[in-house]
Amino acid sequence: MTAFFLRRALWLVLTLWIVFTVSFFLMRSVPGGPFSQERELEPQIAELIQERYRLDDPLWQQYLRELTAALRGDLGYSYRKPDFSNAEIISQGLPVSASLGIVALAFAVLLGLPAGIISAVRRGTLVDAGLMLAATVGIALPNFIIASVLIILLVFLIPVFPAGGWGSLNQLILPAFCLGAPYAAFIARLTRTGMLDVLSQDYIRTAYAKGLADRVVILRHALRLAMVPVVSFLGPAIAGILTGSLVIEQIFAIPGLGAHFVEAALMSDYTLAMAVVLLYTVLLYTMNFVVDLSYSLIDPRVRLE
Amino acid sequence: MRRYLGYAIVIACLGMMGWAVSFGTLPPADFTFSNGDEIKTIDPAISTGQPEGRIIWALFEGLCRWHPETLEPIPGVAERWEVSEDKCTYTFFLRPEARWSDDTPVTAHDFHYSLRRFLHPATAAEYGKELWYVKNARRFTTRDVSVGDPVEIELHQQPEDALPFAEGIVLRGTLVNVDDHGDDRPIFTVEIDGRTQRFQRTDEGSTDDGVTACRMLTYDFDHVGIRAIDRQTLEIRLNHPVPYFVQLMGFYPFSPVNRRCVETHGYPGWTRPENLVSNGAFRLKFRRVRDRIRLVKSPTYWNRDQVQLETIDALAVKSTTTMLNLYMTGKVDWITSVPTEVVTDLMERDDFKPSPYLALYYYLINTQRPPLDDPRVRRALAMAVDRDEIVERVTRSGQVPAYSLVPEEISKYVDYTPPAFGGFDPDEARRLMAEAGYPDGRGCPRIEVLYNTHESHKAIAEVVQAQWKRHLGVDVTLNNQEWGAYLTSRRQGRYMIARAGWIGDYIDPNTFLDLFTSDNPQNQSGWSHDEYDRLMKAAQVEPDNQRRMELFHAAEVILLDELPMIPFYVYVSQSMVRPWVTGFYHNIQDVHPLWAIGIDESLREKLRPGSRGLRIEEARR
Amino acid sequence: MNGSTETIASVGTQQGVSLAKEAWRRLRKSWTATLALWTLVVLATLAVLTPLLPLQPPRRVETDRAFESPTLVGPEVPLLPSEATPDERDAALAEGFGRLDPLSELMLRTRANVFGGWSIPSIFGTDKLGRDILSRLFWGGRVSLTVGLVAALVSLVIGVTYGAVSAYAGGWVDNLMMRLVDVMYSVPFIFVVIFLITILNAEGIKEVLERDYGVNRMVIFFFLVGAIYWLTMARVVRGQVLSLRNEPFVEAARAMGAGHGRILLHHIVPNLWSVVIVYLTLTIPRVMLFEAFLSFLGLGVEPPDVSWGLLANEGIQAITPIRIDWWLVAYPGLALGVTLLALNFLGDGLRDALDPRMKNR
Repeated sequence: MTAFFLRRALWLVLTLWIVFTVSFFLMRSVPGGPFSQERELEPQIAELIQERYRLDDPLWQQYLRELTAALRGDLGYSYRKPDFSNAEIISQGLPVSASLGIVALAFAVLLGLPAGIISAVRRGTLVDAGLMLAATVGIALPNFIIASVLIILLVFLIPVFPAGGWGSLNQLILPAFCLGAPYAAFIARLTRTGMLDVLSQDYIRTAYAKGLADRVVILRHALRLAMVPVVSFLGPAIAGILTGSLVIEQIFAIPGLGAHFVEAALMSDYTLAMAVVLLYTVLLYTMNFVVDLSYSLIDPRVRLE
Repeated sequence: MRRYLGYAIVIACLGMMGWAVSFGTLPPADFTFSNGDEIKTIDPAISTGQPEGRIIWALFEGLCRWHPETLEPIPGVAERWEVSEDKCTYTFFLRPEARWSDDTPVTAHDFHYSLRRFLHPATAAEYGKELWYVKNARRFTTRDVSVGDPVEIELHQQPEDALPFAEGIVLRGTLVNVDDHGDDRPIFTVEIDGRTQRFQRTDEGSTDDGVTACRMLTYDFDHVGIRAIDRQTLEIRLNHPVPYFVQLMGFYPFSPVNRRCVETHGYPGWTRPENLVSNGAFRLKFRRVRDRIRLVKSPTYWNRDQVQLETIDALAVKSTTTMLNLYMTGKVDWITSVPTEVVTDLMERDDFKPSPYLALYYYLINTQRPPLDDPRVRRALAMAVDRDEIVERVTRSGQVPAYSLVPEEISKYVDYTPPAFGGFDPDEARRLMAEAGYPDGRGCPRIEVLYNTHESHKAIAEVVQAQWKRHLGVDVTLNNQEWGAYLTSRRQGRYMIARAGWIGDYIDPNTFLDLFTSDNPQNQSGWSHDEYDRLMKAAQVEPDNQRRMELFHAAEVILLDELPMIPFYVYVSQSMVRPWVTGFYHNIQDVHPLWAIGIDESLREKLRPGSRGLRIEEARR
Repeated sequence: MNGSTETIASVGTQQGVSLAKEAWRRLRKSWTATLALWTLVVLATLAVLTPLLPLQPPRRVETDRAFESPTLVGPEVPLLPSEATPDERDAALAEGFGRLDPLSELMLRTRANVFGGWSIPSIFGTDKLGRDILSRLFWGGRVSLTVGLVAALVSLVIGVTYGAVSAYAGGWVDNLMMRLVDVMYSVPFIFVVIFLITILNAEGIKEVLERDYGVNRMVIFFFLVGAIYWLTMARVVRGQVLSLRNEPFVEAARAMGAGHGRILLHHIVPNLWSVVIVYLTLTIPRVMLFEAFLSFLGLGVEPPDVSWGLLANEGIQAITPIRIDWWLVAYPGLALGVTLLALNFLGDGLRDALDPRMKNR
């Protein structure tokens, strides 16, 4: 067990180093730099700015300097928003993205699981077909299209929700729903297939034979095993919700991390881009790790190697 | 064990949900506006851009302010100013009642410190060039020193009683020798009080045999034309007359900063709301990245009685569609820009009045690339652009077709009417193409138009593409690049035709015509014209205003004859503002100072009948 | 010696054929999958034959027709100037349709001869430059479907090769290769894609690529997207190969002295097809979604080319409370939705038909 944790930690460090190095050199090979703007600077002033931010050093020196800083946990200051350190920007944006993501995930699970179970239990009925069609539509549409349809309906035509912004509960619901919808659809489908598989197995038949109620059989016996594919999907889903939120955040003007993620990359804000990409890597890695752990919790047969 | 873990997970999930949906409450502001993109900084010295300007103008006040309607300089911290006979020396007399937010007086020494900080090489102010009119300022910023010059040396060590982020010990002397021994960090020999000492610029405070390490060595600021005569009097001497200099001093990068605050906290610490000391009509309450900046009225501002708003929220919203949504749902009172798609529909509304401002949309031509090296081809391209179609069908918000580099609107403010190059004439354009050897576009290489990725640039480029194809038979390809890549391509001349835009910094033809002088880094067209340069140089130092304008006019005639650029249209400000907002005027620089803005409560009540609706909106904010 | 290897190989293939027949029979039994299959066939045919259809030129800018709502009345403007010289005809076609490959150009000419100047009215409305949405949907469909197919194929090739090699090699090579996949799972790829697209799009690099290698942004795009979506494929293929490796017919081939490459290529890869087809149908929709996502960020297909994602994104820009030009979003969304829906249903059907055991993956 300890060895398992240690090995994973080691791979995390290695992954981070690879991501750091690749991102560093990729970013630096993008033409332009953090200070390009339409208003062309006097060359002397441009030099002074390079000097101020120490971008005039040789590339390998910058690489070593930033790598050591990153190792110390110092993410530096943003080039495009120099009033803030990257740690501050992240500490302001992450909670926003996180609450959006959590509520989206809650939507996904709370809508997806029951839909999947009902669908499996009522297999072959109209209910099943309807739910699965809805689920497949949810998977098939990009979330920005779902978002714009919902905005037309629930913001403009029937003004129930505000158009965007952040700071109150009703500003959270619509974006979280748009973000969670495709995942709800996935979860519904996975639950359904999982349940169908499990329901045909011997021990479920035994449970029924013992005279247990439907509800008990389904919720206490079948659901647990049917959850395995769902849980294994949750890892990538959380990752997807994290990165998917950048579209939703742009549409609903939400001050989360997602927008920084894209913009820092597009605007060559080297340090902020690096900070965010490292954070995302850690998050993705942790999610995959947690999923592996959870297998052993749900299914006693799985051993951690 | 497993069972408890299950409960623990459930409780953790519920806790997370609870945390995710809990929001603090924030009382609504008196006035909320969308400020465009997230601002880069509130440090005046290193700021650029309109969104930054709106905030800095609210937080700080310079020597003068701009009148919200006419943009005339009106007294700010300086209650009056005098200009010398030769128009080269300005004396500003500061008002004694001007106060910082820590209740200390704003003095001429504060301005001396702030302008020095602005010009200092370590600050690397992007607008630095705008203050190079001041005597020797350029040499101070660029560290341009030669033997015999007075120099100042800043050591790494600080004086005993200095604040944590103050400058190091400063020595002053005369430069007697520069030994650059093939290194990019030369050793300077300086005579200080009759003794010579050797200095070298280093990053760390180490010294070795006979050479003193210093942080900075540059032209002595005591010899730069900025002098605090006493606490209330500031004198600035210029190299040559600059008719718009007083107005320039009201520009936000030249706002004063509080020395004590800056030296106590350093940058960026001093810009934090809890540390910031400012002298403007408002103070910084808090700042949330990508969300909002909240400003509150300053009780120490000298003119506080005239400031009407108690609290202001400046939202950072990038997308114009989102801005409009926020405005239409009553979340904001002023948006600075609207989506082009809906402009025609908005034109009928009372709260949307686009008005031209001092900015030009144009295409920059790389005059080094065939076939664009032929002025006839450039002229033909310029003449085959139907600007009316672009402004009426694409941009559609009252943009004014432009046939010159300097926007015609300027004639309302200064005595200058720009010449024009002819206009839309497809027949003449075809004739010119044939003359250049490309009848009906045959044999003409493909022309590529470069633009930065943006909806409206794309739409315009597509129309121009179709027009050139239609009228000249020229094949045009479009290339969109991300901002950074686009700028690099332009700078390195790796383009044929590039979209460009320019916003005038001050109301004078120079801000546009200067773009095409040979030594301006902004001139990326590869075009260079001796007579043009000569006229521009002469105009720069000409004390007589009328003569000066004539020189500019002659220069622009040359430019429009050669056409290293194709003017498209003059931008319009696209502000949408609630009718009950007072003190908001449409002007040529699209500047709307927040200290002038107020709310006409009675009109607001009248226009928004049914107080219930109002309450719902208030609650939703 | 040689002959007997052939025999064994052909046994494998025969088994494949009968499996395929069986699978086909099962697929036909599912009406959703059949419907999905037919939908896709129709869509693909329409996409191929788009130049033949009497559509308005997708690139012709007519700003005075901007934002027209769907109408049944035909446009006033004919396809070509009535009395045009061949040169002018070519110019008009190039303005309206862009540069085309020879086959499409031939179809376009045929269409001009058959239908003359007539084209379908803007039954789906027009966009902000007065371009016909219906026509742009068709031409965009060509791009979107190609992106989906080609990128998925690229991911397939990479994934199958990687997975097969890894599993077949076994031991520390396998371990290392799979660890690498794990590492890549944790890389936020959007980021890498943003950088790569920006770099490859810079003028100097772009020109060199186009001139010397004939590679344009679209091709780069295919490869980039393909290069991202191979990870799952590699894992699945590896699992499959691991179980195949010990099958009797592979052992037999090995006993007969077949080389590693030969075994992989002739005996193992052909037996992967069921997995591969299922994953291909499931990867195409993901790739198309990714293209739409990149278009949303302005990094996707480059104008004047269109794709469904780009169209939908342009539509979203136009949605405001002032005017709701629903047709700008609805139709591209519908096109994307129907295609992806069909692909998903087909993928499900194929999975059930080919290998019921794979349901849970």
